[in-house]
Amino acid sequence: MGSISLTIDGRSVEVEEGTTVLEAARKAGIAIPTICAHKDLNPYGACRICVVEIKGVRGYPTSCTTPATEGMQVTTQSEPLRELRNRTLELMFSGHPNSCLVCVHREACEQYRPTATKAARSTRCGFCANRDECDLREMALKAGSNELHLPTLYASYNLERDDPFMDRDYNLCVLCGRCWRICEKIHGQPAISIINRGKWARIGTAFDKSHVFSGCTFCGACIDICPTGTLTDRFARWQGKPEQEITSTCQLCPEGCSVVAQVKEGRLLAYTMTEFSQEAGLCALGRFGAAQILANANRLTRPLVREGEDLIPMDWQGTLEVTASQLAQHRGKIAVVASASTSREDRYLYGQLASQLGGQLITLAVNAGAEDSQISSLMQSVEKGAITAVIVGGNLVPLELVTRLKCSVIIDALPSPVSEAANIVLPAAILSEAGGTFRNAHCRIKPMAGCSRAPGDARPEWHILCSLGQALNLRSFEHTSVAGITPAIVNDPPPEPIPGNPRQNVRELATRFRGHLLADILPSLGAFGLPATPKTAVTEPTGAGFTITEKKEIAPNMHFFKVVAPQVAKFAQPGQFVILMAKETSERSPFTLVDWDAKAGTISLVIEEVGRSSRELASLAAGETMAHVSGPLGLPLAIENKGTVVLGGGCYGIGAIYPLARALRQAGNRVICAIEASSSYLLYMQDTLAEVCDELIIATKDGSEGVRGGIQEVIAQVADREPVNQFIAIGCTFMMRMATAVSKELAIPTLVALNPIMVDGTGMCGACRVTIGEDTKFACVDGPIFDGHAIDWDELASRRSAYARQEVQALSQQVDLTALMHQAQGNGCSCGR
Amino acid sequence: MTTTNTKAEQTPSPKKGRAKIPRQPMPEQDPRRRRTNFEEVPRGYSEETAMLEASRCIQCKKPGCVEGCPVSIYIPSFIKEIAAGNFIGALLKLKEYTALPAVCGRVCPQESQCESRCILGKKGEPVAIGRLERFAADYARKKGGVPDPVKAKATGKKVAIVGAGPAGITVAGELARWGHEVVMFEALHLAGGVLMYGIPQFRLPKEIVQYEVNSLKKMGVTIHTDYVIGKSETVDQLLDAGFDSVFIATGAGLPMFLGIENENAIGVFSANEFLTRANLMRAIDFPRFATSPIRPHRAVTVGGGNVAMDAARTALRLGADSAIVYRRSKAEMPARDEEIHHAEEEGVEFHMLTNPKRIVIDEQNRVTGVECLKMELGEPDASGRRRPVTVEGSEYIVPADTVIVAIGNRPNPLVPQTSPEIETSRWGTINTDDDSMMTSKLGVFAGGDIVSGAATVISAMGQGKKAAFYMHRYLMGVDPPQA
Repeated sequence: MGSISLTIDGRSVEVEEGTTVLEAARKAGIAIPTICAHKDLNPYGACRICVVEIKGVRGYPTSCTTPATEGMQVTTQSEPLRELRNRTLELMFSGHPNSCLVCVHREACEQYRPTATKAARSTRCGFCANRDECDLREMALKAGSNELHLPTLYASYNLERDDPFMDRDYNLCVLCGRCWRICEKIHGQPAISIINRGKWARIGTAFDKSHVFSGCTFCGACIDICPTGTLTDRFARWQGKPEQEITSTCQLCPEGCSVVAQVKEGRLLAYTMTEFSQEAGLCALGRFGAAQILANANRLTRPLVREGEDLIPMDWQGTLEVTASQLAQHRGKIAVVASASTSREDRYLYGQLASQLGGQLITLAVNAGAEDSQISSLMQSVEKGAITAVIVGGNLVPLELVTRLKCSVIIDALPSPVSEAANIVLPAAILSEAGGTFRNAHCRIKPMAGCSRAPGDARPEWHILCSLGQALNLRSFEHTSVAGITPAIVNDPPPEPIPGNPRQNVRELATRFRGHLLADILPSLGAFGLPATPKTAVTEPTGAGFTITEKKEIAPNMHFFKVVAPQVAKFAQPGQFVILMAKETSERSPFTLVDWDAKAGTISLVIEEVGRSSRELASLAAGETMAHVSGPLGLPLAIENKGTVVLGGGCYGIGAIYPLARALRQAGNRVICAIEASSSYLLYMQDTLAEVCDELIIATKDGSEGVRGGIQEVIAQVADREPVNQFIAIGCTFMMRMATAVSKELAIPTLVALNPIMVDGTGMCGACRVTIGEDTKFACVDGPIFDGHAIDWDELASRRSAYARQEVQALSQQVDLTALMHQAQGNGCSCGR
Repeated sequence: MTTTNTKAEQTPSPKKGRAKIPRQPMPEQDPRRRRTNFEEVPRGYSEETAMLEASRCIQCKKPGCVEGCPVSIYIPSFIKEIAAGNFIGALLKLKEYTALPAVCGRVCPQESQCESRCILGKKGEPVAIGRLERFAADYARKKGGVPDPVKAKATGKKVAIVGAGPAGITVAGELARWGHEVVMFEALHLAGGVLMYGIPQFRLPKEIVQYEVNSLKKMGVTIHTDYVIGKSETVDQLLDAGFDSVFIATGAGLPMFLGIENENAIGVFSANEFLTRANLMRAIDFPRFATSPIRPHRAVTVGGGNVAMDAARTALRLGADSAIVYRRSKAEMPARDEEIHHAEEEGVEFHMLTNPKRIVIDEQNRVTGVECLKMELGEPDASGRRRPVTVEGSEYIVPADTVIVAIGNRPNPLVPQTSPEIETSRWGTINTDDDSMMTSKLGVFAGGDIVSGAATVISAMGQGKKAAFYMHRYLMGVDPPQA
C-alpha cells in the first residue's frame, strides 16, 4: 500500500493509504474527541463527536469513518466544530444522567465525597461505579460547559442484575454501539444488538431474553469496552480504578489464555483480555472467576497439623519439620498427586519430590477428580500397602484414601473434606498470587505474574515444595525465587486439553479447579449447568414478620413501603425512626418514619437503595414480610410554634420531613418545605408535601425544575425574603453540611436529623456516636435530631464511611443475586415481557 | 441408660475409694486451634466422666454449695441423679431451680460460688458442679426426651417482663410455672439479652440460648421481640393495659467510654458494639450474615473484666494480634481466672499497669495506635483495690487498628426515663427493696443489671428468682408452691 500525505490543522502528516482521518490525526498527535471509536473496533460513526472540517467537503464529516486522501486539508478545532460537538454531547446527555456535571456544588461534593456512593441504578455521577473511568464524564468536564439546554429524559430502565457476573444499567447507555460491535468482532454473531427503535432503542439480546440463553459467552469484552457505567463486572463494580495492570496467564484451564491482571491494594479485581480481538478472547471463568476464587471467604490461611482429632494451626517452620519427619518414614511408599492447573515450576517440583522420595507422581487433568482411573489404581496401591503416604495438591483424592493413611499432606487453597481429614494442610497461594510459567495445551510457554497478595500465611506452591524438599534434605530444592527453578525444567509435557471450547460455549467451561467443583466456589456457574455438590438447604429461623401492604418505587432507587407494625404506629412521633431487617440474616439498619396510621396499625417508609441491606429491603414486594421492624426509636422533634419554619429535605429526607411538616403546621407554624434532587425525575411526594405546608419550594441541581441548586440556595433565598425562625434539614450528610453552613451565617436556629451507622438503635453499642459541640452523643437515643451548627461534620462523614470497603465486598458476595437468576430460567417463553 | 447402672457399680463406691477420685478435668479444644475458630472451648464431659465426677460428691447433710448458689439450686440432688446415670432426672432437678442450666453451667463463676463452699475443696479440689450442670443440660438438649414442665393451674394474673435477658428469663420461667400469664418485651430482634449479644459463641453457643428461649415459649410465655418499652408503652401504660405486675430487667446496656482524645475515630468500638456485631448479628458468619465483620490486624482491648476477655478473644479469632491494656495488675483483674487463663493460653498479650492516654489516628480518622501511660499501684481505694497512679513521662504507643473499650456499662436509661415514679440512684440504677426486689412503684419489680449495675448473669438470675417469689406473693397473697 502506498503512502499519502495530508494536512491536519496545518500540520503535514504522512500515513498509509486506507487510514482514516481520525487515525491520521492521532498519529500526528492531534487529539480528536470520540466516544464510539475504539482502536480495536471498525469505524462506526455513531456518536458524531469526532466531526472535522475538510476543505472542499460539504458539512462536517466524522473523522473516524472518513478515509484520508492525498492532499486533504483537515481542521479539527474551530468554533463551529466546538459548538457542534457540544450540541452532540448535550444530545447524548439528554438520555444519560448528567446533573452532577452541571451541578453548582460539584467541586464541594467531590471534595467531601471522594468515592462514588453505591446505589442500585446510577442516577448521577456520584452514584456511578464507573465514575473514575467514564469517557463521557471526562469529555464533558473537558468541554467545560456548565449549561445543558435539553431536558433529561431518564429512561427508568430496571437495573438488570439477573445474569451471572454482570450488572447492566441501560439508563447510562449512550448507544455508542461499542459493546455489540466488539461482540460481533470476537464472536462473529453478536449476542447483543440494538433493540427497539427511536426513544426506546437500547442494547439487548434477541427477544430480550437472559444473556444465559442468548449465546453470550460471558467473555466480558463488552464490559471492558463500555465507555460509561452501563455494563459492569459485579465483583469489581465498586472497587474503583485498578492501580496496576500486569500481563499474565490464566491457569484455570489448559488453554492458558494471556490476560491482563487488574490489581488494586494487593487484590486481584479481574483478569481482562490483552486486546479486543478474537484471539485474545477469554472465557467466563477466566474473565470473572479468577478474582472471585481468590477472594473466597473460606481460603486456607494457616498451616495445620493434626494432633488427635484436631488440626492445629502452626507456624511454617514447625509444620515443615513435622511434615518432613512424617514423610521420611514413608520413603519409597509415597504418592504425589498434582493438578494440571499448576505452573510448570510447581509440577517440576512435585515431580522431583516424587522421584527423590522414591514415589509415584500422578498428574490429573483439569476436569479430573477423585473418580479418575489413576486415582482408582492409587487406591488399590494403598489397599495393598504399596503406598502409605500421599502429598496431594488439591481436592484430588477420595476421602477414604486419606482416612486410610497415617500420613497425608494436602497443599491447597480451599478447604475440602479431604483437607479436613488430612494429617497436614499447607495453605497455597494461587493464580495471580504466585508467579512462574505455564505451558498451555497448545504447547506455548507463558509467563505468570505474581501480582496480588495471598491471604494469611498462604505461600506459593513452589515455595512450599522447596522448603519441604530442603527439610527432607533432598537435592536441588534450594531455590529462593520461582525464576530460579524455571531453567531446571526439561521436557515438560503440555497439559491435556479440555473437551469443547469454553471461549465459545459457557456450557463447556472447565468444571474443576484443583479438584474442587468450580460451581461450588462460584455459584453463578450453576446458571450454565456446571456440576455442583448438592447443597443441604440451610433454613434460617423465621418469625411471623411484618407484612408489607404497599410497595412501589416512587423515584429511581426510592422505594415507598407501607408495613403493618401496630406497636410502632401507635406510639410514633415526628422525627423518630425504626430499625429494619429484611431477613434474619440482614443487618439492622435505621430508617426514618415517613408516616403512620395508629388505627390501621401501619407505618410508611421511604427506603433508598444504596447497599446490601437496603437492596434486600427493596427486593421485597407487597404481601411479603420484613423479618423485623423495631421502634419507634430516637427522640421525637419538640413540636412548638416557632413562627416560620423551613424544612429542607433531600434524597430520603424528602419523605422524612413530611411528618415534621404536618405536625409543625398543626402547631400553628408557617411551614415552608424545600426539597432538592439532582434532577426533576428524582423528585417524589411533591403533592403529599404540598398538602401539609404553606409553601413548597423545589430545587434541582441541574435546574430541570424549580430553583437551580439545592437546599442551601433555597434557605438563603427564603431568608432574604422573610424572617425564618427555625430551619430543619434532613438528607445526605453533604446536603446537611452545606445547608447548615449557610443557615449559620444567616443566624437561623437549625436542626438536622443525623444518619450515622447504627447497630441496635437503643443506646447499647455506641456505633452511632457523634460529636455535638464538646460532647459525644449517641444519635439513636440522644438524637437523631441535633443542633445543626454544633456538629463535627468531618467526623460524621468519616464514621459513615467506616465500612465502605466491606460493603463493596458484601455486594459481590451476596448469594441472592444468583438466586434471582435461577428463577428466570423457568419463565415459559422467556421473552422477558 | 440402663447400662449406666453397671458402670456406677464399677466406680469405687465406698467412701475411701471415692476420696481418691481426682476432680475430672474438662476436655478442651487446643488453644492453638481454638484461637482460629468460634467453636466452644470446653467440650463437655462424657457420660462416663460425668458419672465419675458426680460420684465424688459426698451428699452433705448441710450442703454449703447450695448456700453459695445465688439461685439456691439444691445441688446434691442433681449430682446424685448423674452419679446414678439418670441424666434426664438430673436436668429435671435443676429445672426446679433454674431456667437456664446450660447457660449457668457455662458462664457462672462457680469457683467463687457453689464450688468455693464444697467440703471437698477444704482439703482437695471441690466437685466440678458447673461442669456437671452443663453436662446434664447438654445431655437433655441433645438426646431430647425431657418431659414438659408441670404448670400450676392458671391464676388469671398477667405479668409483663421488660427485657428478655437472664433476669427476665428467670422470672418468666418461675411465674409461668406457677400459672401466671407471662408476656415478655424484648427490644432486640432475638430474646436472650447479654446471652445473645454479649457472651461470645465460643463460651456460650447461641443455639443453646435459643433452645432455652424456646422452652420458655413451650411453657406458654409470649415473647414480643422488636418491642421497645419506653418508646412504645411506658411501664404505667402496661399496668393500665391490664398487667397485674411488671418486672423491669433492661440491663446495663449503655457503654462507657474513656473520654480520651480521638475516641470517636474509626476503629474505636465499645465492647458492646464489637461483641454485638460478632454474636447477635453473627458477623463472624459474614457474608451469609450481612453485618460487616471487623477484621482487626492488631486489636487493643481496654479493661480487665470478663467482657474485656471476651472482646480480646473474639478479636483474636477474627484474625488479630490481640492485646489487653489494664491499668492495675493481674491480681486486681475482675475477670474470672479461667477467662484470663484461656485468654493467655490463646495468645492474648497482657499490658498490665497501663492506661490509655489518647488514641493515635491517621489523616482518615482511622486508628493507628493507642498512646499509653505506665501506672503504679498506690494506696487501696474504696473498692479495696490498690489505686493505680500514673508514672509521669512513661508514654508509649501500642500500635493498633482496632481499639475496644471494655471498661463497663451503665444502666440503660430508656425505661427509667419514661417512668418518673420509679426511683433511681445517681448511677441510674433502679432502687429496689433488697428482699422483694419491688421498686418504689407498687407492683413494679426490677432485677438484674438495671438494679445492681453491670454484674454477672447468675446474680441477675438470683435477683430474678427472688423477685419472682415476691411477685407471686404480691399477686396471690401467698408464697408460691414449693419446688
